[in-house]
Parts: sequence; structure tokens; C-alpha cells
Amino acid sequence: MTILVILLKSILIGGLVGFAAGMGAARMFNAPTVQALGAFRTLGEMNACEGDPASHFSFGLGFFFNAWASTVGAGAFTQDVTHRVIPNWAASVLLLKDKKVENTVHNPKKMAIAGAIIGIIVVSFLNTTASAIPKSLQVTAVKVLVPAAELLINIVMPIIFWLSAIDAGRRSGLWATIFGGLSAMIMGNAVPGVVLGILIGKGVDELGWVRITKVMFGAVIVLFVLSAFFRGFDIQMIESFKLQVPSFITNMHNVFNIK
Amino acid sequence: MDEEKTMEIDKKSFWYSEWSFPILVGIMSAGVFAGTHMYFVYNVGAFNEVAIVAMLKAGMDGGSYGAAAAFGASFLFARILEGSLVGILDLGGSILTGVGIGIPAILLSIGWKAPITNFTLSITTGLVLGLIIGGIITLVRKYTINQSNATFGADVMMGAGNSSGRFLGPLIIISATTASIPIGIGSVIGAVIFYLWKKPIAGGAILGAMIFGAFFPVSLK
Repeated sequence: MTILVILLKSILIGGLVGFAAGMGAARMFNAPTVQALGAFRTLGEMNACEGDPASHFSFGLGFFFNAWASTVGAGAFTQDVTHRVIPNWAASVLLLKDKKVENTVHNPKKMAIAGAIIGIIVVSFLNTTASAIPKSLQVTAVKVLVPAAELLINIVMPIIFWLSAIDAGRRSGLWATIFGGLSAMIMGNAVPGVVLGILIGKGVDELGWVRITKVMFGAVIVLFVLSAFFRGFDIQMIESFKLQVPSFITNMHNVFNIK
Repeated sequence: MDEEKTMEIDKKSFWYSEWSFPILVGIMSAGVFAGTHMYFVYNVGAFNEVAIVAMLKAGMDGGSYGAAAAFGASFLFARILEGSLVGILDLGGSILTGVGIGIPAILLSIGWKAPITNFTLSITTGLVLGLIIGGIITLVRKYTINQSNATFGADVMMGAGNSSGRFLGPLIIISATTASIPIGIGSVIGAVIFYLWKKPIAGGAILGAMIFGAFFPVSLK
């Protein structure tokens, strides 16, 4: 009985998440003019498959085994279900019918529908199969795909974005370097900072220091200050410089620690 | 019926428009929040990494929800601001961690269990939260990016996004060679077959590695 309830709920959840993940991923190919929902890693990895159905499928498959193992072991899907499995499998299915990515992978409507179907299947499967999965496949996926994806996201993507920013002009190169370095320290990955640097640099190139660019610059500063605070970067930094942490900063952090 | 028009972007249509974004985030959040309901009730189905879900689990087991709440909420906050500026709202940080872990942890810490234990209520709560988050982003964009005709370096970012993907294939092979010799050989064979077949080598490298990994298993440690 419980398994039936779980199955029915999973179908609904999978449909919702799959629809949104597919639609959001397709919109990424039109960002930033169209606001998308996804991740830079998803964008980079989907581009790596170059619109080839077999590549999209096998890339998703590797992470599917990883997600399956994690679900069986701990009940947690891993973020890969929405970031990798659903978008890549939806793309793979659509590409079987039409090879043109502009008509399929970049089309939010088709990706939403394909994503919803994949989502229903994947979520129902993960939630209902508590039985064992081939251990060797899981281990290979973890030992091969995870380190490769980490290198791509933490090293290769920041460098490619950084070099593009430097090549795009002195101003975007300057701000990308400043924000990229800060973002690597504060947020743990340089890509968001480099992208913001390109945004500010190219914005100022095209418009000058007008109200919009100033507002955006202010927002970027606020973003960095708040993320630094909430991630405890301020305390870490003071301690790394071998200084005493002033008590008012510790008190401020305590205010936001919900017990 | 308008299949011929799909090539050009109709920014007024639901699929590309600015106004549909809050709905998109709402649908995603509804599903993810309900996923947390599944985890809370059946111990399966949370949409996040084991380490992050473990923070919520710590609260469920009678500890404090503080870690999950602070971690999730701060992620959500940073991602909302970043997402509106760069044009891609990070799904993992904003929805999976913020809405899926942070907000439930806050609600549970103040003793408000109903939105998590009741399935219908969990979907509704997620939907409303997503609509609010998507609305904030749309609003921020209205006063920044959308007020001008500048592209803010979209071409630079797209170019970088496209070229970074090419690195994945070689990275997978390098990573496979460090896992074990058979897995490395498998990934090289797979990549070569895909290359000669004029397909991206990443797919072949993964399949080859997994096939050889099935015959010559390695242990995780």
C-alpha cells in the first residue's frame, strides 16, 4: 500500500520537476536575454555532447547510476537528477527525432514535455527501487565521472570563461579578474565572479557608467558582501591573517544562527 | 501548428517570456519541496546531495535544524541576486538547497510541521515560494538588464560556455586512467570508437569505462 502511495506521489513530483528542469535548461541556451533556470555546469556539459543522442544518453546514464546508488543508500537523489540526468536524457530523446539542436534541445516547449516524461520515469524508479544496483557500475561512475566533472567545473570552466573575458576587452578582463578571484575565495568557484565581471565590463563598454550599470555594480558588491557573511568568510579571513575576531562580528553571526 | 516559427525566439510566448519565469520556478519548487516531504515521511526522495540532506536529517533525528537552515537560506539568497544578473538561476543552490533544505529546516525549527508532512500542502508551499523567488528575480531584471539594449557580454559568455564543454571528453579519459588500468583502456577504446564514428568522445569514454569496470571491478577506497 505504501509503495503505491509513493509511486503516485513520485509520478506527480517527477512530472513537475522534469517539466521545469527541461524548460529551464532549454532557456539557458538563450540566456541572459531570456531568464533561465539551470546551471553553468549543465550548460557546459550539454554543449560537450554536441547534440549527439548517444553522448547525451551515456552522460546522463553515468550520473543516473550515481543517483540510484545514493538513493538506495541514503534516500537522497543527488543534484545530478535535475542538473544532468533529466536535461541530458530529454535532449537525447528529442535528438533521436530531429538532429537540429535549435529545434529540439534549445526549444523550451519540447524540452519541458520530454523532461516531464523522463522526470516521471526517473523519480518513480528511484523512489520505488530499494533493491541493489550493480555495484561495479556505481563505483566506475563515481571514480570516473565525478572527478572529471569536478575538474571541468572547478578548473576548466573558470579558466575558459576568464580567458574569454580577458580577450573580450580590457574592462571585462579587469572586472572578471577582480570578481573571479573574490568569487573563487568566497563562493568556492570562480565562474559566477567571472561572469559578473563580463557583465559589468561589457555593460560599461556599451552604456558607460549610467544608472543601470551602477545599480548592477552595487548589486554585485551586495552579493559578495552577503555571501561572504553567510558563508563565514569574514571570520575565516580575519583568522587567516592571524588577527583577533572582534566580538561584534561574532555576535552578528550568532543573531543569524537559527537554533 | 506554428512549428515553422520555432527557429526565431518569440519573447512574448509562454516558453520564452519574462512573465513565465516565476511560474517555471514555482513548478520546480513545488516538485522539490514535495520531494523533501517524501524524504521526511518515507526517508526517500530528497533532491539533494547526501551531505546536504544529512544536515536536514540531523534536525529530524532530534538535533538542531540550525545548520540546514543557515546553509540553505544563505545559498538561496546569494543565488537569487546572482541569477537575476547572469541570466541563469542556479537550480542547485536556489531551489534544491534553498527551497528544498533551508526553508523546510526553518519551518521545522519553529515547529511548523504541516507544510512538510502534508503532501498537498507541501506542493502548495513549494509553488508559492517558487512564485515569490521567480517574481523577485523578474523584478530585479526589470530594473537592470531589461532597461537597456546592451547585451552585457552575452556573446562572450555563450562562447566560453560552448568551448568549455569540449574539455569534458579528455577529462573523462584522464580520470578513467587514474581509476584503474582496465577502466582506462575501456575509456580509450570507447572514445576512439566514438571519434571514428564522428561523435563526441565523452559519451564513448563513459560507456567504455563502465563496460570494462563491470568486468574488472575496482573498490571505492
